[in-house]
Amino acid sequence: IELEKSHYSDHEIRKLEEEEQLRRRKESLYDDDEAPGKTVIMAQDLEDKWEQKLLRFEAAPRITDADKNNDRTSLNRKLDSNLMLLVKQKIGNQELWLLPQAEWQPGETLRSTAERAMATFLGDHIQAKTLGNAPYGIYKYKFPRAIRTEDNVGAKVFFFKAFLQSSDLSQAELKEDYLWVTKDELGDYLKLEYLKKVNRFLLD
Amino acid sequence: SKSVSPRALCSFFFFSSWLPQAVPFRGSHWQTSLLAFRASLPVRAQPKKKKKVDVRREQAQKDRMKKKIKKLEKAAPEMIPIEDFITPLKYSDSNRVRSLPPLSFEESERRVLLMKKWCLFKQKQDKAEKKAIQTLVEAQQEALKELRLESEELYQAAIRRDEGLFPFQRDGPNYTPPLPGYDAPEGKCIDITKVYTQ
Repeated sequence: IELEKSHYSDHEIRKLEEEEQLRRRKESLYDDDEAPGKTVIMAQDLEDKWEQKLLRFEAAPRITDADKNNDRTSLNRKLDSNLMLLVKQKIGNQELWLLPQAEWQPGETLRSTAERAMATFLGDHIQAKTLGNAPYGIYKYKFPRAIRTEDNVGAKVFFFKAFLQSSDLSQAELKEDYLWVTKDELGDYLKLEYLKKVNRFLLD
Repeated sequence: SKSVSPRALCSFFFFSSWLPQAVPFRGSHWQTSLLAFRASLPVRAQPKKKKKVDVRREQAQKDRMKKKIKKLEKAAPEMIPIEDFITPLKYSDSNRVRSLPPLSFEESERRVLLMKKWCLFKQKQDKAEKKAIQTLVEAQQEALKELRLESEELYQAAIRRDEGLFPFQRDGPNYTPPLPGYDAPEGKCIDITKVYTQ
């Protein structure tokens, strides 16, 4: 409680006065001004009652079961930091851990491509808020020489950010290889170059 | 029908008054009975005078009211008192002042050092935040540059303002996650804020 820059509050004054009364009663020995039949609730009693109520309340633990088991597929872990979805996707002939991506179809904006990717991995009725029309980061890579053609030398991957509004993913049709990871754990799964580019636009 | 409509009754009365044809028709309210001779002279001018005076009096009253209203309107509108800036008098009683022991030397030293550490911590935090925002912006600019090289149309679509973004709402961070199946206790909140109209 702020003691230095405050005055006594109503509750504290009531408490002090009642303490005075009690003390006077004890000293003067049965000098009852008020009728003994009257039951008065003392401020101290109220404080004790509130204390009891607080002790009886049990808050939910901050470290959930998923943390203890290190189960990275559940969304209920690491509640104090942001989690990102990683999926295992097949690019070319390699199976890689990536942020979910979809190829751009001509005729749609980049944002709608991103939302389509989200829908394919998390189900159609997903409540997520995409932040803005512009991409946040880019990763470009060149195809290995075997697949390179005249026009398609490489690919550019644009990243968008979106916040999941509801944590209810029961309708999601996720395949087995997905993970919810924090920024620090990204390094365990992503390749170095990719990771470097991704880390630039991720906070926390 | 059992109940006779009042209209029928009135009409009956009306017809009855027509019967004594010799009696002059009751024109003004100055004549109290039909058959009695005109007791009071129905001075025709008087009702008119009354009307004039009434009209004049009423007009004068209206003007006075209008003048008062104008005066009130001209006066500057009363300031609405800001409740937060006025300490109620009951809180400046002397019995409210706390009696605390004075700060010891160690305590004040501890506080000063703590303040310095806090300043340093906050400075580092601020610098880190600003750096993060800088990298964020740089990454986005780079991405937009690359996109422009790819296709102008997509670039224009990306630069467009997102109208649905603001107002942006997100639940604040809680210290503990919500308890599953917790029934919050019901309570009634009565709003006693004073509303002032100017």
